[in-house]
Amino acid sequence: MRDKWNFILYLVWFSYLIISAVLMFGQGFLLSRKTLSDVSECVPLKGFGCDGHENSSVKTQCTEDDKIRRILSNSGSPMICAPKKNKVVLILVDALRYDFTEYDESNASPLYYQNRLPVIRRMVEKWPNRARVFRFMADPPTTTLQRVKALVTGSLPTFIDISSNFAAMEIQEDNVIDQIVKQGNKAVLLGDDTWARLMPGRWHRSHALYSFHTWDLDTVDNEVDSKIYDELKKSDWDILLAHYLGVDHAGHRYGPNHPEMARKLKETNDRLEKFLGILAPDVLLYVIGDHGMTETGDHGGESKAERTAALFAYSGSGFAGDESDRQIGREVQQTDLAATISAALGRPPPAPSLGNLLLPVLPNMPVTHTLLHLSNNLKQVAQYLVRYGEESQQISLERLAQLINATRTQIDLAAGVESEAELKIYTTEVRNLMDKVRGAFREVWVEFDSLSMLRALLLLLLAIFFNWIITEGIPIERIPHVFASTFVPSGLVSMAVCIGVCYTAYYFEILEHLEHSIILSTGLVSGAITCVLVIMHWDGITQRWSEGRSQFYERFARSALFASAAVLVSNSYIIEEGATLSYLALTVLGLLAWNVGTMKSLLLWAGFGVVMVLTRSYRGCREEQGDCWTAGEGNSTGNASRAALVLALGSVAAVIAIARRHVEWRGYGVVIAGIFACAHWAVGWGSLGSPSRSRMLARGAWLVIIAMFVLLWRKDGRGATMPLVVSGLLFYLANALVLGAAFAPTAGLALLSGFIALNIVPLLKTEGSTKFSLTMRCSSSLACLWALLASYHFYGTGHHATLSHVRWAAVFHAGDPNYTSFGTPISVALMFIYLFGMPLMFGATVPLLALWGRNGAASLGPRTQLAAVFSLCLKFALCFAVRVYACALSATIHCRHLMIWGVFTPKLLFEVGSCTAALLGVLIGATLTVWHIPNQVRSS
Amino acid sequence: MFSLNNHLELRRVTISSLLTCIYLPSIVTVISYKGLLYSVGNASSIYILVLIFLAELMKSFYLNSSNEFQVKKKNKNRASEVIKSVVFFFGVVFCFFVAIILFGAPVLENHDGTLMLSCLLTLLTIFPLIAHAGVESAMQLLFGVKNFSRDTIIAMLVNNALMTICGAWLGAVVIPLDWNTPWQQWPIPCYLGAIGGYLLSNVLTVTKVTLMSASNKYPALNFFVNVINRLHISK
Repeated sequence: MRDKWNFILYLVWFSYLIISAVLMFGQGFLLSRKTLSDVSECVPLKGFGCDGHENSSVKTQCTEDDKIRRILSNSGSPMICAPKKNKVVLILVDALRYDFTEYDESNASPLYYQNRLPVIRRMVEKWPNRARVFRFMADPPTTTLQRVKALVTGSLPTFIDISSNFAAMEIQEDNVIDQIVKQGNKAVLLGDDTWARLMPGRWHRSHALYSFHTWDLDTVDNEVDSKIYDELKKSDWDILLAHYLGVDHAGHRYGPNHPEMARKLKETNDRLEKFLGILAPDVLLYVIGDHGMTETGDHGGESKAERTAALFAYSGSGFAGDESDRQIGREVQQTDLAATISAALGRPPPAPSLGNLLLPVLPNMPVTHTLLHLSNNLKQVAQYLVRYGEESQQISLERLAQLINATRTQIDLAAGVESEAELKIYTTEVRNLMDKVRGAFREVWVEFDSLSMLRALLLLLLAIFFNWIITEGIPIERIPHVFASTFVPSGLVSMAVCIGVCYTAYYFEILEHLEHSIILSTGLVSGAITCVLVIMHWDGITQRWSEGRSQFYERFARSALFASAAVLVSNSYIIEEGATLSYLALTVLGLLAWNVGTMKSLLLWAGFGVVMVLTRSYRGCREEQGDCWTAGEGNSTGNASRAALVLALGSVAAVIAIARRHVEWRGYGVVIAGIFACAHWAVGWGSLGSPSRSRMLARGAWLVIIAMFVLLWRKDGRGATMPLVVSGLLFYLANALVLGAAFAPTAGLALLSGFIALNIVPLLKTEGSTKFSLTMRCSSSLACLWALLASYHFYGTGHHATLSHVRWAAVFHAGDPNYTSFGTPISVALMFIYLFGMPLMFGATVPLLALWGRNGAASLGPRTQLAAVFSLCLKFALCFAVRVYACALSATIHCRHLMIWGVFTPKLLFEVGSCTAALLGVLIGATLTVWHIPNQVRSS
Repeated sequence: MFSLNNHLELRRVTISSLLTCIYLPSIVTVISYKGLLYSVGNASSIYILVLIFLAELMKSFYLNSSNEFQVKKKNKNRASEVIKSVVFFFGVVFCFFVAIILFGAPVLENHDGTLMLSCLLTLLTIFPLIAHAGVESAMQLLFGVKNFSRDTIIAMLVNNALMTICGAWLGAVVIPLDWNTPWQQWPIPCYLGAIGGYLLSNVLTVTKVTLMSASNKYPALNFFVNVINRLHISK
């Protein structure tokens, strides 16, 4: 029975095909922006001679104006550090929507968010020269992290920024803070720790506070207030950055139209009045919102309300610009802020910036200085265009060359500008050009690599199609022979040859993209090999297919799975997927029970239905589900109430009490791990709990679970059923631990639903005799049912396929893993179990579908058992592959859809995660089965 | 081709199906013209159920009319039979009610809508069976203990029942869509789906019988008969 490992190898091979194709798809679909490590440099004015050249030999004296003009007329000159600089106070009021700043006296009954910031309007009206208020347009995604990145780099952060260091959160690009700090200026940070995490080590002083307690409206704001007035009086900083979170949190918790919002806005108003009172005249004050919010207080998407933030600028010494520039409520882009702040502090714009200067919020300058800033800006953009063209082929060379030429022309024109009027025209031209550049990049950063996407889809289709024929077509009696032959080894050898050839070609620089060519060639070769296998067994396949139609429930189960995959092209079904999957799973199981036709099976079905109904209360909702979301069910805090704690303890206790007796010596391990888990919740609960002891207990539970998992591999020669059951229980405990007390009962419910489904399976009628029927026990209906259940319990355990719904608390329930030496792998593993534990658990227990029950396969010869288990495992894996394929297809179809980043892409990511977990689980389950199956072959 | 008895039964099947094809659409048309189509989930729409109940009752009288032999037998313990039927009827309504909630209907609210739907389903599926074959045979048919041959009244009734359930099942497909139309309210799509499924089943029966009689003259039509036979979901 050496060939039994061939089954596992084949499953690994299949998993590789699916995962590699999905990775290729992701590279084409998610790759959006390349971050360059370039940094803007500038040469101080002193470094130039009077002829406008660096280190020139001409030693005559000249005025600053003349010098700048000379430099401008020399088109090849580098960027120049501006001679005058201001201090900047940047107050970021998170989620300050533009209409919060409006003031309308005639509004007799203002809503809670209207007319709450009168100071802004009063300042603008009193000193039209000193104060400005603009609409500050954000680009999607309107989440704080992406917005902060955009504000400091002046670029357009995309869903995923490809950089050399993928894991770190630190910004890898040039940014305002770097520019400022490099010059020796000091930056001070107060408030949200997103800044500290994005740009660690840059701050002269920082008081950063954790920002994700979205239900805490006041702590961060009060902390910032306690420091900011002292900081404003000090003079050792050049930029003071304060990030207030209260308004955003009030929006998240209550929505904009709530008394709490009025309170937070009033606090903001009082703060601003105080700042304006103590601000020195040479300090520029910018009060900005990083994004707006919808009427329910959410953000992240691209609706107008989310994109329209406010920008309020004030300077005691007055701003530049005339009537048209200062117009209240003009739309300006958030990308412009980086260049503007840099200019205010006498630095060139950061290298990746695509913004143009907001002259109306910069202090009055002579014409030459304005020109200097403008030309700096143009030079930086021209430089970025050249560099980006070198690094990436995203923008066509033609377009890029056109833009570069236009920019260079504008740089040359700068020297000819003399009067204010000319400057005004020039500024407008520059702004138009920058808008064009920005537009070009905006287009490109949502441009997909359609070639690799299509190739990946093709590879997925190839793998799914041939493997489907193998599982559905080749008669199950032949499967052991196929795997005893040289099929799997020859396949693996040819894959190795492929990789070798690709690598050699890459080494000799014949190929450019190593990964792509490896994935493509191995995928195609595997397709060819499986195709050969299908052709060799064509007689068996045709015979099996011509023998007649399968049972109705089986056909229905297959179509239900395909339906569950096909509806993923519709955003409404993705949003309501939990309900859809439960509906389909219930129907499939109902048909199975109907086929059995006994009272017992119908009662089991009803019990299954009740379990599904119970999980419904944990399902929560996402923000698109309007009514439910606004009712507050969406914001589950993860803190367990007393009842939830009792339920959690009860569910775990019930499971271990029942399971203990039936799993022999392994039961003790399960019991100990369960007690640890219960103690972990009980000790850590409420204000009286002791968090440190609770964490210790959680670690104990994990230790026992891992030890038990290792012990699973102890052979006792009694078949694979018991180890598989125990692995299911261990995965259950692991899931319960990461889900936390509030959601732990859902893991129990999932286990129970799986158990009920498992018990209906042996009742199924077999044709004629009660003897074990291989075709029936390996039928795809069971695999489909299992896959539907596994997918459903992703939702059943309170998850949703949105990135904002992910609760990171799961990583920290046993202490912060980042303090240990393997912090990252541990947190990744915990997060993986937290999100995809259910597919993992169901995947690991797939072999039970064939082995469970009195008429299970456990009593048969090892070869038949293996073939049955393998066939089911492959079918289960195929179900997930089909779903991933549907997701990828719908992402391709909808790549210009309004909800692509909000609904389809997250769904694709989560489905890929589920598929990976399912494949991993299947591998674990199949390996366990192979390991524990008795070796001796019966002499027949 | 058919025995005499079979022929008679076939005629009755046809006529009752035709009647259904007339009365159900007219009910739906009338209530939609009165603007009441979207209130079928409310308890106030119980008159529709009463109408359907009466119509089905008449149909079953018609279907049973010439079975004098059976009628005589029934006369002896008619009262107990009726009571049993009523109890069975409400039992089935309750089962439907629970099953619909299990399938995803709201658990704590909108009970009247769910109840209306389960009453309708019972009326269209089980009630004709009870009225025609009696409680015990209906139960036996339900659990597949008793077999029935093709092209009989019972076959028609079972087919109707299955198609009705399928219609209601498919009706739920439109509920999650975000079209915000008034007919996506629970339980209107399932309610209309059930009626649609029932109607479709009857239309198919009529078509099949027509084609069968026509195929005596034109044998080529047998192909279509086979297709329709396949469409009928029979165990």
